[in-house]
Amino acid sequence: MDTTRKKIIYTVLIIFPLLFMFASLFVGRYPLSLSAVTEVLWTRFSMGTTDLPDMYQTIVWDIRLPRAILGAMVGGCLAISGAAFQGLFRNPLVSSGILGVSSGAGFGAALAIILFSASTSAIYLSAFAFGTVAVFLSYMIGKVYNATPTITLVLGGVIVSSVFSALISFAKYVADPYEQLPTIVFWLMGSLTSARYQDIMVAGIPMAIGVLGLIGIRWRINVLSMGNKEAHALGINLKIDKGIVIICATLATAGAVCVSGVIGWVGLVIPHIARMIVGNDNKVLIPASFSIGACFLILVDDLGRIITGSEMPLGILTALVGGPFFVWLLKKTKGGGW
Amino acid sequence: MSLLEIIEASFAYEKTGNNVFQEMSTSIEPGEICCFMGPNGCGKTTLLDCILGVHKLRKGRILFNGKDISSFRPGEIARHIAYVPQSHERTFPYRVIDIVKMGRAAYTGRFSSPSAQDKAIAQQALELVGLSHLKHRPYTQLSGGEGQLVMIARALAQKTPVIVMDEPTAHLDFKHEMVVLETIVRLVKNSGITVIMATHFPNHAFYFENNELNIRVALMHNKKILALGSPSDVIREENMKLIYNVNTKMVSCPLDNESELRQLIPVGTII
Repeated sequence: MDTTRKKIIYTVLIIFPLLFMFASLFVGRYPLSLSAVTEVLWTRFSMGTTDLPDMYQTIVWDIRLPRAILGAMVGGCLAISGAAFQGLFRNPLVSSGILGVSSGAGFGAALAIILFSASTSAIYLSAFAFGTVAVFLSYMIGKVYNATPTITLVLGGVIVSSVFSALISFAKYVADPYEQLPTIVFWLMGSLTSARYQDIMVAGIPMAIGVLGLIGIRWRINVLSMGNKEAHALGINLKIDKGIVIICATLATAGAVCVSGVIGWVGLVIPHIARMIVGNDNKVLIPASFSIGACFLILVDDLGRIITGSEMPLGILTALVGGPFFVWLLKKTKGGGW
Repeated sequence: MSLLEIIEASFAYEKTGNNVFQEMSTSIEPGEICCFMGPNGCGKTTLLDCILGVHKLRKGRILFNGKDISSFRPGEIARHIAYVPQSHERTFPYRVIDIVKMGRAAYTGRFSSPSAQDKAIAQQALELVGLSHLKHRPYTQLSGGEGQLVMIARALAQKTPVIVMDEPTAHLDFKHEMVVLETIVRLVKNSGITVIMATHFPNHAFYFENNELNIRVALMHNKKILALGSPSDVIREENMKLIYNVNTKMVSCPLDNESELRQLIPVGTII
């Protein structure tokens, strides 16, 4: 009974993001039929040829598919690191950006836009570097004692975040208001518009390492959430296990943020939606957060394409779409034990 | 050889600070309950932390089966000594059985989760404290007493010869205090577990003595052990006056099975 239920849950968790990705191939300004989409996918996967117009192939294979893949990865990464941090910090109000990775990456991107006039690879690199530096700084600040108590770590994150937010404002202030400032502002609102396979390959490496690490260590997050002393008494090596969670969550988030910009809300609320659906055991919660986050971001990106002719930034829609959904789920599940 | 030996142990939180306790020595034998008793702030919890390897001693040694605790790796200590906290701060509503399964962490690899065998052990531990009917409930919905029994079940799931309990009945109501004490008595009698316990209630020690357990009390005073022995020998009116500044009266009444029920009644504080 218990094992069949588990199998069903894991199957659903794998199938749903794939379904959402497939569905999103149809969404956009140019309508495509089911047969056209499947034919393009089939020819590409089987390395065959087709007499469909080139434009179909471009739309499905070069525009919509990489965007769907990237959306799934970014949404999943933000949600999974949020869930991991909530467990690690024993605080349900913590999100994937708690140790300053988002504001650090934001500043990195703004800096690259000003200095290197928006070369994409420079933005990625700079955002990723500053995102990880921000987390490192938070960790060092939190390390006033040898043991890095949870509360000082969170405090360190808050301080570092606010410093980088100030630096972002400064960057906006000195940026050229006609070219650079709009680029910075749009970057900070998050978008998947620029998705190409190349980006997925590069940013995918840290994201994949982070996600696999978190999925590997997921049961230990339960034990870490008992607090330092109890986790120690239960036989956990706090330094190593905490370090693994922080490094993996940082890699995943920084990888996501550097290609997509700052997308709020997902890293805080998707883990809670997952908690209501599958419960709080991190063994299921961690993969479920990834899966639900992936579905959610694909969905939001699709809506952005449908609602407005032009591209609506993701950071706006995540909360507008997710908020009501969250309230509905809260009523439906009665909070799932909270 | 004693199960646990504390030899000339001193501890301070800061390098230059005052010692919390100093040159403390005692040994704990298998199958007994050892109660560290003393007022708030006398260093009971700190001493337990040192036994658990949370803190490192400033001086002296703590030996488990003749081996220095400080040479144990964290996972190793957890396979020998389990811990029941004084008050557990509940954050996420984990299911009761999930909490008990965490007792198997020391036997579970970093990148894996408890096996079917671990689950069976957790289930067994939950039965030992009589809570298997609650196993699917969110543990945040349990009462304080039930929560403490879950913590004891988690410690039992660690399958250790020693369990360290830090004031396990703090914050519990009249009945649940009794339930926890009865559970401890049952575990020591039936499973042969050694319990090291911090408490500030003299009557807990008498309760264990009345139940014919092998119990010794270590009274802590002035950073040292003032007296060590059976409750009747150690918990005396003059000792209570000395360590708690409280005037007490010892009462005893005969029970039907020819044993005697002893209790210590506080009369008033000494200014």
